Formats: sequence, structure tokens, C-alpha cells
Amino acid sequence: MTDQPLQLQPFSLPPALSSLLPGFSAGAVVVWILYAVFAFWTVYTLIAIYHWLKYSHTSWVAFPAIGAHLLVSLALASYALSGHAAFLDVYLP
Amino acid sequence: MKEFELEPGEHVVKQVRKHWFLFLTGLLPYAILATLPFLLPKILVFAPPLARFAPFFDYQTPLARLALGLWLILIWTGAWGSFTRYFLNMWVLTNERIATIKQRSFFNREVSSLLLPRVQDVTTNVSGVVPSLLGIGDIKVQSAGADIEFTMRGIPRPEQMRDLILKYVSPDDQKPGNA
Repeated sequence: MTDQPLQLQPFSLPPALSSLLPGFSAGAVVVWILYAVFAFWTVYTLIAIYHWLKYSHTSWVAFPAIGAHLLVSLALASYALSGHAAFLDVYLP
Repeated sequence: MKEFELEPGEHVVKQVRKHWFLFLTGLLPYAILATLPFLLPKILVFAPPLARFAPFFDYQTPLARLALGLWLILIWTGAWGSFTRYFLNMWVLTNERIATIKQRSFFNREVSSLLLPRVQDVTTNVSGVVPSLLGIGDIKVQSAGADIEFTMRGIPRPEQMRDLILKYVSPDDQKPGNA
């Protein structure tokens, strides 16, 4: 038996949806959606952190709030990309 | 506190934000949106024409997990932004004035002060079943002469806040060191 090159298509549509959307390249769309979400998340997070640090820098809540946001976002991003969400694994399918 | 500098002899008596119940109520849309990907597959079963879309919600596939993860990141970011705005909105009572800090949205911030000697009338208003049970209400502070009016909406225990304001409005308590 000869070796076959590995045909990985991690973001292929379920068969039921593939028949509905012929010629649809999920991989290309996924890349652009990832860019868009990452850009939105980055801008929004930077703006919010700016407000926390500028207007609430003396409050003890500021750094835990920023830390919690980054931690949860990282876990969700990890889930989106690898299927594992660290401490959020128990809550996600 | 960067918005306003405290005068010599001035100190912060109390800082209040909206009641936590109102904050949680504001988070409700985010909670509904977050549970939507988990509820939809169950709901679709009851709508036969749409049942063919149910396989998209099979979270064992990488694409579905990616979609769920990105969806939850967006929801989480929005909810966190809501908490940020909640936290940055507050009323500050010092022994000399009342300051309101309104963070209407990002980059839209309003800070205003009312000196306590100018306060003429303080009115509280608690209306509704839930506000009465949880002690949520509004306070309206009116100034003498000018048509300045401060309204604090949805604060916890407005009666206590009113009494505190009136305590510092009374002339005897305005002398430095008397707070």
C-alpha cells in the first residue's frame, strides 16, 4: 500500500450544508472572518483598557477586570482554533 | 481621581454606582445571545423545514467549534464593555459637592459638579415592585437659583444617600474637619 498525502480539510462544511452551498470555500472565508474578529477584539479591548487605566487606575478592580477579560478571551480563542478552552473546557461542548 | 481635584480639606464621603440588579439586567441580552448556539439545535428539531441546518451545530466539527468560539468571544467582549461602562459611571459625594461622572459610551464622558451650599432640594423616588424590594431608586438634587438639576437614577438605597447629602448640606457640617 503506497502512502497517500494527508488531505486535511479542518474547516470543511458538514455534508448537509455542502450540498446547499456548492463551490463554497469555507477555508478562505474562515481566514477573513478570523481577521475581522481579531481586529474588532483588539480595537475594542485597547479602547476599553485605555478607559480603565485612564479613569479608574486607582481602583483595585481595574487590573483584575482587564486580566479576566484577557484570560477568558484567550481561552475562547484557543477553543475556536484548537477545540480546547483550558479552564472553560467544562462549560463548552 | 483624575476628573476633578479635591480641594484642601475636601474628602470623598461616598461613591455610588447603579444598583447591581440593573447591571445584571443590562447583561441579559448578552446572556441570551451566548446561549443561542446551544438552544438553536434543540429548537430547530421542532421546525422541520429548518431541521436540515441542525448539523451545523454539531460542535464536534472544527468549523462549528470555530464559529462557536468566535461568537462567544464577541459576546464576551460586548459584555465586558458593558461592565466597563457600568463601572466608570458613578456619583461621588464629597463633604463639599456632588459630582456625577457619566460615561455614556467610550470617548463620551461627562463630569459635572454641584456645590453642596447650592443644594436646595433633594427628592427620592422609588417606584415599582422590584425597585421597592431591592431598594433601587432615583435621587433628584436641585440647586438654588440656577436651573441646575442632578438626577441619579437606579442607585441602591436612595433614602440613605439623600440623608447623607442633607447631612453635608446643613451648614454645621460644612466646616472643615466636621465631616
